[in-house]
Amino acid sequence: MDETVAEYIRRTVLKMPRDEIKMMLQKWGFLSEAQLQTLNFHQQKDNISQEVVQLCEVNPLNSYFFLDNHIYQNKRMWSVYQMKKSGEEEEYFDIADFKKKFKGRIRSALKNVTITFKEYEDNAIWIRVAWGTPHKKPNQYKPSYVVYHSQTPYVFISASVLKSNLPLLCQALIVASNYRDIREMELRSHSLNSLKDIVFKRYSQNFQTYSPKPVQGWNVEAENADRRIVHENRSVKERIHRLNQESFGCGPQPKLEFAQYRLDTMFKSDPKMDVLDKKEPFRCLVKFSSPHLLESLKSLAPLGMADAPLSPLLTCITHKARNYFKIREKKESFVSP
Amino acid sequence: AQERQEQLQEREKFLKSRIQELRQRRDALREKVRQAVSELGNLGIASEPDPREVLEWKIQKCRELLRLFRLTGISGKLSPHGISLSLHTSFEGSLLDSFHLELQERGDSGRFWLCRHSVPPFIPLERLARELLPRNPRQFLGILCRHLNTFVGRREQLRKLQEEFPDSVQVLSQNSLCNFLSFRYRIPAESSGEFQEFRAQLRYRDPTGTRPDDVTAVTGDGVAVPEHSELLRRLPLHRALRQIHDTTAGTTTTG
Repeated sequence: MDETVAEYIRRTVLKMPRDEIKMMLQKWGFLSEAQLQTLNFHQQKDNISQEVVQLCEVNPLNSYFFLDNHIYQNKRMWSVYQMKKSGEEEEYFDIADFKKKFKGRIRSALKNVTITFKEYEDNAIWIRVAWGTPHKKPNQYKPSYVVYHSQTPYVFISASVLKSNLPLLCQALIVASNYRDIREMELRSHSLNSLKDIVFKRYSQNFQTYSPKPVQGWNVEAENADRRIVHENRSVKERIHRLNQESFGCGPQPKLEFAQYRLDTMFKSDPKMDVLDKKEPFRCLVKFSSPHLLESLKSLAPLGMADAPLSPLLTCITHKARNYFKIREKKESFVSP
Repeated sequence: AQERQEQLQEREKFLKSRIQELRQRRDALREKVRQAVSELGNLGIASEPDPREVLEWKIQKCRELLRLFRLTGISGKLSPHGISLSLHTSFEGSLLDSFHLELQERGDSGRFWLCRHSVPPFIPLERLARELLPRNPRQFLGILCRHLNTFVGRREQLRKLQEEFPDSVQVLSQNSLCNFLSFRYRIPAESSGEFQEFRAQLRYRDPTGTRPDDVTAVTGDGVAVPEHSELLRRLPLHRALRQIHDTTAGTTTTG
């Protein structure tokens, strides 16, 4: 086994919290259950990692590179890219062909790269690329991750710090998947699954449908069976709830951490106040941050902190699949770049 | 191709005679209703029905109609923004996923465009909407329903295959639309108790096709097994494999 690879495995195991090592190795799936049984997890981490390296050397496979995937799962920032078809319909997706073309395109530009693929049961293809230079071996500690679902135009990329390799990565993707063009969408989050939910339309939207089961009316009384509490403004509360449901649907929201609005609009104020004597657009950046932005937006109106319905600029996030906006002056509606 | 032609002709004949049968049953029932109504008239029941009962009966009828529409696979409702349609997929008698669309009309032109939807991205929805929706919404819905139903059907077959044969089937490769599949399967040989390994590959060229177009089944050494590939071509995956098991194990094939 290559020295750098052995070192990479050793260092990655050392980074894992002690009580999670076993679980992460299992998730990694590279070592067999039998091999995991032989490991002594009660010794020093140094020794554990040495033993893991020794076991890996015995394995004929070489997909050990996905080991670091499970450590940083939720710390990585994912961007969504959309590809455009050349017009022809592709009949079926051939994964062997995809891999070959992808590797070929990258290797034709850069010799020192490590490319590993892993397929998961939900039809997700994970690609891990460790980048080197003509003179240096690939840096295993700053890989780029790409997630692609066959027969969809969406690619999820967690680029490493080395942004200069992004154009090559994008090119390789369109070549491999037979698309014509690729562009970055204005949608980013730490939660890969939430990004998938948004672009794959898996989140709950509010469609008017007939369902055989009776729709669960939001009953104020059911919520609080204590008869001593009287709910004033019940009709107002129900109206707010209904409007909120129309905007956000009834299910859990995809997990986004922020929404950013870059404003380039005229400041509207009483002329007498004379805030800006220049008739120029007012430029500023408004950023909403939250551990779970959409859920907190959803709770604004019921908590009385905002009027229902909320501004369409906030409620359109999932529908338009974006959380970065540029708002320019154009009548009342906003223009997206 | 000759075989296919014959098959289609047979199917046509069968369906025609079925239509005839159902028409006869319908006429018989109509006659029954007519008789019952006239009998009722004869008995002289003329009391004013209770308006509350009438209303409840109407509501009940409405519910039944809505349930009926749901079973047809398409149901719809006018929404504040346009038309909200729900497409319900099914496979072998079980209702499965529902997908939703919202259509809006451009002014009074009678042309519709697609507003919101919950259709997964590997279904060519945008292309179908672009080509068919403005001119022919019915055809658009019909074809979209086929795409969705056949996708869900293929997915269900794969799920059932893995559920029924968790230890003897290993999926090697599949894709989002489930129109390409390759898997390994092993069958216990007749009496020796040993296993025979096979590999199968299926390809559906037509995304709205219910049966695969290219099927290859080979042994571990690459020798083709036409009996297996024929079964996999004709039957849903889990039933094909059940039959392969039964014939190889020497038991009689049932159903």
